[in-house]
Amino acid sequence: MLNASDRLSVSKAFVAKVVVFAACAAALLTFPSWAANPYILSAGVVVLSYAVLSTSWNFVGGFTGYISLGHAAFFGLGAYGTALLITKLDLSSFVAWFLAGVGVALFAIPVGWAALRVRGASFVIVSIALVLIMLLVFQSWSDFTGGSNGLVVPRPFPDMLRPEHHETFFYLFAALLAVTLLCWWLIDRSRFGMGLKAIREDEDKAEALGIPTYSYKLVVYVVSAFFTALGGGMYALWFGDLDPVFQFSILIGSYMVLMALLGGVRQLYGPLLGALIVGTALEYFKLEFGDTQFHLVATGLLLGIVVLFMPDGIIPAGMKLVDRFTPERSSIREMTAAELLERDQSESSERAGRHASTPSDPEPSTTEKAKR
Amino acid sequence: MDGSLLFQSLVLGILLGGLYALLAAGLTLYFGIMRVVMIAHSAFLILAAYLAWWFHRETGIDPLLSLFVTVPLFFAVGVLMQRLLVARLRPVTLTMMSVLLTFAIALTIEGLLGFVFSGTQRRIQLGYSGESIEVFGAHVAVVKLITFGLAAASLAALYVIMKYTKFGQSLRATIQHKEAAQLVGIKTDRVAGYGFGLGLATAAIGGTALSLDATIYPSLHWHWIGPLMAIIVVGGLGSIPGAAIAAMVLGIGQSLLQIPMGTTWAQTIFYVALFATLMLRPQGFFGGRLAQRF
Amino acid sequence: MTLTDAPPRESLATVSLSKSFGGVKAVDDATVTFVDGKVNALIGPNGSGKTTFFNCVTGMIKPDSGSVSYRGNDVTGRSPHRIARAGIGRSFQLCRIFPRMTVLENVLVAHRTDGLRSLLKGARNDDEIERARGYLRRVGIDHLERSEAADISYGQQKLLELAGVLMAEPDLIMLDEPAGGVNPALIGRIGTLIRELNAEGRTFVVVEHNMEMVMSLSDHVIVFDRGRPIAEGPPSEVQTDPRVLEAYLGV
Repeated sequence: MLNASDRLSVSKAFVAKVVVFAACAAALLTFPSWAANPYILSAGVVVLSYAVLSTSWNFVGGFTGYISLGHAAFFGLGAYGTALLITKLDLSSFVAWFLAGVGVALFAIPVGWAALRVRGASFVIVSIALVLIMLLVFQSWSDFTGGSNGLVVPRPFPDMLRPEHHETFFYLFAALLAVTLLCWWLIDRSRFGMGLKAIREDEDKAEALGIPTYSYKLVVYVVSAFFTALGGGMYALWFGDLDPVFQFSILIGSYMVLMALLGGVRQLYGPLLGALIVGTALEYFKLEFGDTQFHLVATGLLLGIVVLFMPDGIIPAGMKLVDRFTPERSSIREMTAAELLERDQSESSERAGRHASTPSDPEPSTTEKAKR
Repeated sequence: MDGSLLFQSLVLGILLGGLYALLAAGLTLYFGIMRVVMIAHSAFLILAAYLAWWFHRETGIDPLLSLFVTVPLFFAVGVLMQRLLVARLRPVTLTMMSVLLTFAIALTIEGLLGFVFSGTQRRIQLGYSGESIEVFGAHVAVVKLITFGLAAASLAALYVIMKYTKFGQSLRATIQHKEAAQLVGIKTDRVAGYGFGLGLATAAIGGTALSLDATIYPSLHWHWIGPLMAIIVVGGLGSIPGAAIAAMVLGIGQSLLQIPMGTTWAQTIFYVALFATLMLRPQGFFGGRLAQRF
Repeated sequence: MTLTDAPPRESLATVSLSKSFGGVKAVDDATVTFVDGKVNALIGPNGSGKTTFFNCVTGMIKPDSGSVSYRGNDVTGRSPHRIARAGIGRSFQLCRIFPRMTVLENVLVAHRTDGLRSLLKGARNDDEIERARGYLRRVGIDHLERSEAADISYGQQKLLELAGVLMAEPDLIMLDEPAGGVNPALIGRIGTLIRELNAEGRTFVVVEHNMEMVMSLSDHVIVFDRGRPIAEGPPSEVQTDPRVLEAYLGV
């Protein structure tokens, strides 16, 4: 009976999932047609780009639990890589975009090799250092990068008008987001993903069970850098103007973390949801309060609240809430738990009884006097 | 490159290294006590510098005197921060989450500074701002000497506190073995709070010293946190003497490299040192045995 | 419970293994050979270096000097996962499981990966799940497979850890205090499991404080004191060895 109702609820959940997914996808894809004006549409592009970035970040953060505050380095390198390949080597826009992604992935190998040797705090420090180095290099090496004067990226579609340009990039970002999510989902359900999650839970234990943790971490770090760079390159093609201060900003890196954490790093759609909330709020703040530092304060406070009160994100917090207010489901769970407990107890006492009568077995005893 | 220039850089490097050492000591304290990486340390540094500047602008009195307010204030803020915020984090994920939490605090401080004082660059002009004295042929600005003097005196005070007071002993015991410290009756929570306050007090001193000599703006703290983080990793996380030695070495290195490379590129020495440390000796160069002795 | 007269095949052995922490010699020049196909027990007073020895052997800590070999191959200083792949499984002193994964996933994680292609396969491969369930059934917690590992009792976590170790199909299983912190009934159950698994050909190395368990379970006992073995032999002999009494009672 339990099984039957289980199957029923699973299929119900599946239907619900499909419906919600379809509705969200439809809402997303038709956004350009109901966006009130080009400004709103461009804000939509920004939010989508955030979603791509924080989902990319979540390859490392969500699976392994390593928190990188420096993913802006890969974002900036992807953006500058794309721009420089177009301007210096005359490559066509999207070839340059893809090559830049590959290049950044290659660059991430030695960086990850060094950074992943340490855990926890040191890793975060290294990740921050990475952005600061990149900022330093790209500001100082102005002959090549344009330095603080900025770098203009040739438009990929020179004939397009502004609204059309935004709309095109809205769909390009949506496609990139879809690919990124698909890749995350594939890893999530693979053995590789299970190994990564074991690293997040207890790295030593995972290693002792035969998982080559270092290689696992490195691979997923490189994948993460690749998608982050693609996000950065796409941003460069869309925005058309790069400045080291914005591209290698520690703030961009912290947005990625905040969004993923807010939505829930263990969920596929966590970072996307976080990006929708935080990205929309940021765009709103920029519109309302202009160039003040208010968005910094808001970001800081929100991050603090998330870290202190819901470190697992709003999706798990929301699910808990739903659980609590769905009497049917919770009662089934309680019953099962009680049942299991009972069964377990009776079983273990039965076994204990059997043991006592087996001559080769030790007398059950916890006396540890011999130890002292 | 002539000798006197080299010597000048060396002296400046030592003076800079002193300030780095003080600030890195604060960072090491937080890490040692609670395994907390305090990203907001340099934001508090800049906050103290702003307070000193504001104090000077409003009263016209020497900004150094603001120390009498900021040091106790920062100590109290540190204690509260530990008790109210950091202690709430789950122990399992403490290190990671504390990074994010203090990062959030840093962003908030930076934002508020920009909000209240605007993003304009500020600088204190004092009667003795332009003066310098000659030390064996090297010209050294008086303010730099004052900065170094403050840093050295504070470090010495920190050393005495850690080494000879009862509180310092409990602090060291907590750093070395928290559970054992609890067993011998040390209230590690309270000690951790005070340790946090002590760390933040170093930021107050450092910030006031910095305000004498530097142009300040809200986002300046990012320029400090990178080098400081590099210093504590190179020094071996948790080792105060290690951090001090690394601070001196890297401070001098930065100062010397400025001659051939210019100021911006010279900063890369911190990051080169950071990555080299991770490749060669992830536990840091001066940690380990030294850490246990202090 | 008696040793066979034939010379034992070499399983896991260390030669002059040493490791010190800041001047304290945790493992000091330890030369140990474990007997293949038997239940070996490693006993000794608290702080005698058993766990450090364990960690050196399984690669969690790099020894300062000395060597570790398994079946004649030198495995000194290899990373833990390579030692695990060589066929040595281990548990941890305070039972370590993956708290926010389900019981079944906890076991599935320990599958043997062969090459890149198997990595990209779905984690929920049917054969693997059946194998994992088999081990859960074996330790008696298969009814909990869908619970989060953090939610089950400590004793059940201990059994879960053992199931995970078994999933990797090791030939040699090293258990760090399998009876630590669990109730008497469960101690009996774990003892039986070890016996059964040993009868199937798996070698065991068990660090244990519960003397009754050690004496009844093991074929070969090695006594550690101050980082090195001071006596070894069948349990009955070791029990009466004056050096062992001295080490324990601190005479």
